[in-house]
Amino acid sequence: MNNQTIRVGFLGVAHMHSVSYAQNLLAMAGVEVVGMWDRSPELAEKWASRLAVPHFASAEALLAAGLDAAVVCSENVYHRSLVEQAAGRVGAILCEKPIATTVADARAMIQRCADTQTRLQIAFPVRFAPAVVELKQQLDAGLLGEVWTVNCTNHGSMPGGWFVDPTLAGGGAVLDHTVHVIDVLRWLWGVEVTEVYAEIGDSLLHPGLGIDDAGLLSFTLSNGIYGTLDTSWSRPKSYLIWGDVKLEILGERGAVHADTLHQYITLASDASGRTAWAGFGSDMDRGLMVDFVDMVRSGREPSISGADGLAALAVALAAYASSASGQPVQVEKMV
Amino acid sequence: MLRIGVIGTGAIAGVHLSAWHQMPGVELVGYYDLAKEAAERAAQRYGGRVFGTLDALLAAVDLVDICTPGTAHKANVLAAAAAGRAIICEKPLARHLADAVEMVECCERRGVPLFPAQVVRFFPMYKRVKQAIDAGSLGKPVVYRSARCGSFPRPGRDFSAPYYADFNQSGGVVLDVAVHDIDFARWCCGDVERVFARGLTFSGRPFQDHALITLRFVSGAIGHIEASWSHPRTTFTTRVEVAGEHGLAEWDSQDRPPLLVELYDEAQGYRRSGSNPTAAVDEPYYAELAHFVEVVEGRAAPLVTARDGLEAVRVALAAIESMRSGKPVAMQEFGG
Repeated sequence: MNNQTIRVGFLGVAHMHSVSYAQNLLAMAGVEVVGMWDRSPELAEKWASRLAVPHFASAEALLAAGLDAAVVCSENVYHRSLVEQAAGRVGAILCEKPIATTVADARAMIQRCADTQTRLQIAFPVRFAPAVVELKQQLDAGLLGEVWTVNCTNHGSMPGGWFVDPTLAGGGAVLDHTVHVIDVLRWLWGVEVTEVYAEIGDSLLHPGLGIDDAGLLSFTLSNGIYGTLDTSWSRPKSYLIWGDVKLEILGERGAVHADTLHQYITLASDASGRTAWAGFGSDMDRGLMVDFVDMVRSGREPSISGADGLAALAVALAAYASSASGQPVQVEKMV
Repeated sequence: MLRIGVIGTGAIAGVHLSAWHQMPGVELVGYYDLAKEAAERAAQRYGGRVFGTLDALLAAVDLVDICTPGTAHKANVLAAAAAGRAIICEKPLARHLADAVEMVECCERRGVPLFPAQVVRFFPMYKRVKQAIDAGSLGKPVVYRSARCGSFPRPGRDFSAPYYADFNQSGGVVLDVAVHDIDFARWCCGDVERVFARGLTFSGRPFQDHALITLRFVSGAIGHIEASWSHPRTTFTTRVEVAGEHGLAEWDSQDRPPLLVELYDEAQGYRRSGSNPTAAVDEPYYAELAHFVEVVEGRAAPLVTARDGLEAVRVALAAIESMRSGKPVAMQEFGG
């Protein structure tokens, strides 16, 4: 299908990344956004009309329109049913992170896609941030010699909406923000997380929220590196920027301070009444979508697989288990 | 498939060639350089052939990318215009205003597109500042400041160093370096009404050059530009800020970069380095050249025109004249 137009449909647009993914697809030659569906017809219509693409009354109708690929950006708990519905009817699926909210769901999705020869990719855009790409190149070239430890943060602002509804999100800050950094660490060194200890805060920063909004994970990797990750929604709306993805890596030759998205001008505006950072970095979602479309077009295997999604999910679930038990948890016991 | 020919294969050509080499939809046909061995090195690394004469290159391409020292810009632009080829010309367009005017008018007369490579407009942080202005985040921009500070192009380091050190050829730090910021300042604040400048250009210090340029724009805005070839070796810093009636945008290359590396070993001691990487298509020189291709192919309107390049040279030459005379220079009357 090298010269054919790739037809992509959105099954669920509840995750706001869907808009950025669609904008990037619309900017690419040889790609057609066939339409959007969401269980909320109002939401599907809102985004679809803003992007000037059709919206569909049912997921079935969108699939029946004939798609080469589906992008699943629903609430987390619906990832499984939508992936299962699309598998076998499209060649490839891009599923928003986390892959699912339970190991059983993730396994079922991976199995169904394997059984139907559907290539399943998980959306981990941070791998496409230029600073992360360069970080991997430098580490692979032996920049630090033996690496000992990594101190990470993936801070954010409290997103609200379905993200703070446990029945739809399956977890709060720990689930939302563990998987990005863990995926990067697994990819940087080709390793697995072996053990996790976690301190998690429920409604700690936002009293009455009803879900975890703060979390600290302490972990070991299969190559002997130990590290921590702060997943907290600890950036107030008045802060300079929504959040960060930072990795401070220490080894025998020195240290790398990777504040991977820190490409900002400072913008003070009396109109908004605040001072904020405005990004000028390359759009990592563009990198993700270029990679995904290349996968759809070429027939190659996905660069980020369902197994990668499951491995990252297992670490988040291990963090919740550790917090509940007060003890370190072996990640392999989660899967 | 747009056929590209590169004239001049020295220092700046390296970044252009790397961009052309990666770009889909264009063919890097070849090179012409008085220093044939430089052209041969380019051909070896990036493919394409070495042309023995300028005319032979012009006959084989659709677009020429002129990366020679500034003193050779005019002859190459006039020859390419006569051959009807689209032209990208490195900054500054020319050392003297009359030459720049002749180049621009010749291209206009012949209907040949001439793109001055004012690359700062393609640096993502500068683009973001301009975007904030255009979005109305600052209100009307009224106080502009920027700086571009490095050390003197080291004599003997490469063959172009004598060019930089000879004011009669390069125009010194104002024409070679400040011309970047003058162009960006004009993009933000519009045309310049008046220029005043002080600096080291005429101080008689060998291998030192520096200028502090004060601008008044036609809009009423004021601006300040620092350009330096006298800062400590190995450093190169840039910064920009634009204050408007109800907002401020600022960026400083000494701000924390996304990648910061600290290393130590007994042999080399402590080393610290930063990196601010972009995706390949956002790399400023790539973005600039890709934009010019889009314009030539009729898919985009030019972000920077030949007249912009000419005006940047005119303001830079006015700043030099002000340094020489100690007096402000009114742009309306300034003819080089």
